[in-house]
Amino acid sequence: MGAPRAPLEPPTPEQSAFLERAMSQYGKATYNFAFRLTNNEADARDLTQDAFIRVYRAWRSFEPGTSFLSWIYRIVTNLYRDELRRRKGRFYEEIPEDNAPQAFRGERPLATNPIDDYVDRQIGEPLSRALADLSPDQRQVVILADIEEYSYQEIAEIMGCSIGTVRSRLHRARALLRRLVERAQQQQQ
Amino acid sequence: MIEHFTNDLIVDFVHGELEPAADARAHAHLLSCTTCTAEVDAERTLREFLRDAAVASEREMPSAIKAAIWEQIRTAKPGPLAALAALLRPVVAIPIAAVLLAGGYFATAATHHGSPTIAASYYLQAHAVQSSQGPLSERSSASRAAVADAYDGGYPATAAYGGAR
Repeated sequence: MGAPRAPLEPPTPEQSAFLERAMSQYGKATYNFAFRLTNNEADARDLTQDAFIRVYRAWRSFEPGTSFLSWIYRIVTNLYRDELRRRKGRFYEEIPEDNAPQAFRGERPLATNPIDDYVDRQIGEPLSRALADLSPDQRQVVILADIEEYSYQEIAEIMGCSIGTVRSRLHRARALLRRLVERAQQQQQ
Repeated sequence: MIEHFTNDLIVDFVHGELEPAADARAHAHLLSCTTCTAEVDAERTLREFLRDAAVASEREMPSAIKAAIWEQIRTAKPGPLAALAALLRPVVAIPIAAVLLAGGYFATAATHHGSPTIAASYYLQAHAVQSSQGPLSERSSASRAAVADAYDGGYPATAAYGGAR
């Protein structure tokens, strides 16, 4: 992202090992989380890169025994919020070209069940569009609650807000999501 | 029997976030209310679709990100604090400290070079002279003369005074 970067110090062996292990184990989850938040490839890449640089810098402040994923999601959330503020709430949305979803690259065969295809078309696409139409805060809380399956308490810690705020954001987001999905389905028919 | 669920209550119920007592009441209500059961099912379906869509669109982290991170670290220049910390390492700090101490020593010596110095023996001699001149002095005139002789070297004025006695 465009945020200024402070000078980095040369790594110690322990620090390098910590970062390498973090990227191997949590790189995919972090990148997907960033992608769901930003809805585009370039910003997800930058967000992931900046998050791991923060991990590298602050590796000693990670408390063993706590959830690394929650920690890095909190970092991503803060970076995303800062970037939103910097860009005044706008993120570009684009269709990724060089990193197509796994669904089209092997794990799931191209020749799928026609019923599944129909369901994907009828609900999957409207759902993705509806998710993109939510506000950043609403989208974030839906991702954490429904996709990552965090509790309200955990989401509050990641987002740095109260449980009440999480609850009200999720309620509003779900109501909006239901309306958006219904509308998108009607438009498709 | 409780009234029909509100949308907010359905969301909390589906996410397992109701208090135990409220959760129990909700379960009991669902046993007899088809309307609320349908609403809860719709909410659960939406949640499942969200999760399925996320899994279907999952992707690996591009290797370019990892490479860029290591590149950023590799090409990093140490900040001012790191440069200072490097200077404080014993291998570097000890020679620096030695040079500073030696410099300090020679600088002090240079500052005092050429300034008037008074030998300690002067004070002893001056004290002896004053004692011998006092009204209750027990020193003999011979010893006074000896003291006066001792003054003749460096301090003519005092020697002259002592010598007059």
